[in-house]
Amino acid sequence: MEPTLESPVSPKLSVSDGSALETKRLSAWFGDHHVVKDISLVVQKNDVFSLIGPSGCGKSTFIRCLNRLHEETDGASVSGEVLIPGAGRRDNIYASGVDPVSIRRRVGMVFQKPNPFPGLSIFDNVAAGLRLAGVMRRNILDEVVEMSLIQAALWTEVKDKLKKPGTSLSGGQQQRLCIARALAVKPQILLMDEPTSALDPISTARIEELVMKLRNDVTVLIVTHNMQQAARISNQTAFFLMGELVEVGPTKSIFTKPKDTRTEQYITGRFG
Amino acid sequence: MIELSIRDGRRKMVNYFSLAVLCALAFAAIAPLFFIFAYLLLRGWGGLSWSFFTEIPRPVGESGGGMANAITGSLVLMGLSSALGVPLGLACGMALSELKKTRTAKALRIAIDLLTSVPSIVIGLFAYALVVVPLKGYSAWAGGFALAIVMVPIVARSTEEILKLVPSAVHEAGLALGLPRWKVLMRLILPGVRTGITTGILLALARVSGETAPLLFTAFSNSFGFRGLSSPIASMPVQIYTYATSHDETWRQLAWTGALVLVFVVFLLNLVTRILTRRKI
Ligand SMILES: Nc1ncnc2c1ncn2[C@@H]1O[C@H](COP(=O)(O)OP(=O)(O)O)[C@@H](O)[C@H]1O
Ligand SMILES: [Mg+2]
Repeated sequence: MEPTLESPVSPKLSVSDGSALETKRLSAWFGDHHVVKDISLVVQKNDVFSLIGPSGCGKSTFIRCLNRLHEETDGASVSGEVLIPGAGRRDNIYASGVDPVSIRRRVGMVFQKPNPFPGLSIFDNVAAGLRLAGVMRRNILDEVVEMSLIQAALWTEVKDKLKKPGTSLSGGQQQRLCIARALAVKPQILLMDEPTSALDPISTARIEELVMKLRNDVTVLIVTHNMQQAARISNQTAFFLMGELVEVGPTKSIFTKPKDTRTEQYITGRFG
Repeated sequence: MIELSIRDGRRKMVNYFSLAVLCALAFAAIAPLFFIFAYLLLRGWGGLSWSFFTEIPRPVGESGGGMANAITGSLVLMGLSSALGVPLGLACGMALSELKKTRTAKALRIAIDLLTSVPSIVIGLFAYALVVVPLKGYSAWAGGFALAIVMVPIVARSTEEILKLVPSAVHEAGLALGLPRWKVLMRLILPGVRTGITTGILLALARVSGETAPLLFTAFSNSFGFRGLSSPIASMPVQIYTYATSHDETWRQLAWTGALVLVFVVFLLNLVTRILTRRKI
């Protein structure tokens, strides 16, 4: 895949074949603090696409632009385009008239810290997205909850205690619960913001394993500050530095023969 | 060395002494509570009987009778005021937590704080002008309305405080599922804090159950029992006030017993909120 660093904004919007997501000159601000600068990149369907870079370089902000969550923060703003096939309005999720709520159904998210809904059972946590979207049929809910929990590699551990509160699980289990919850609404794309940084090595390994399986069903963008993790689970990697996209390409070549000296310095641990 | 240990001993004594003074002052501060309760028990206990709860008051001079009219009246008034005050208070609390630091939220917060500090007699006057005058008479509606105004700021602020404790990550998790803000709040956040919200409502009820001033010229009183929501209605505090200031011995006894029951109910409500808050929200 060619990095599309300097692709100009085309007057006619459309998503290229096989791509799951494309950003064009995407910028984001907190107030007048410009934290994501002019990012253009393409993510192919069924990629596990990792974003690496030192903390504070704008990785979280970038992926929060992809499901229009960034704009929920006070004073936050965005410019540029994010193209997602099927999103409507010629598929730019920032086109006027596009409802952020409908975008977030296509683009799921898993956060850095596990955040199950307090007071809701394991079952209700996973069913929440569907139920509140109006799906009421018990047999459909049962089926989707089971499937999602299987996909999130949590089913065998919780199938006998679905009525227990989600918050009663261990940290690693809670994070898998959050993954199941996101998968239950069948998103095209799953954004994961350092999903294992709050977890122990065993829980981390389980999540890495399940992410690698997920790529058959969904395109995954995962932020990680752990370069080994990026190398293990992703096929494409983008390196961010101070809000800019320094380099993007197949994970192997980013880690073995980076083109940019800053990438090389970062992966060899000379800064960050 | 010796010098030092003497000084040490003196310091300990000063320490001990000041602690004793503080304890004495603290006791003095809460002593009235015990006196009130003891005195109420002393004066009110004797009047406690089944008929106190089941019978309406008898005319002056006759012995016997009870406060059944005031008890049902208070229950009806608390029901009415909750029906209006709880949803309004919840709505204000949720609006405050949603609007966070915007100008609207600041204005709303000031308004709610002002409302808390408005003397309850003034709230009664307001309800008089707004409900009693147009309806051309005292009524349970008017009393319930006045008490609802007392409840709103209490429920609103406690709801806001509870919602503040919910991490914004939980909110974002709901948004990220493709759900509109209000659904996230109503269906995903609120169930998780229902205990805390119940606590706020119970505290507001405890406060309202003893309010007298707002009822004096709204619900007024009646000594026959429940006559519908558009008629004057009795309540515990107003009835206690009327009877305590009367010259009839039986009535004065009813007032003491009524006061005991009322204080007991308020204590109970406070106790329940305590137990609820001790369990995690
Ligand atoms: N809510 C916020 N308000 C203001 N500035 C923020 C906020 N969140 C992040 N930032 C700033 O935006 C920049 C990028 O942050 P972030 O996207 O979280 O980086 P990363 O995820 O790569 O660590 C940082 O300089 C950070 O201080
Ligand atoms: Mg981050």
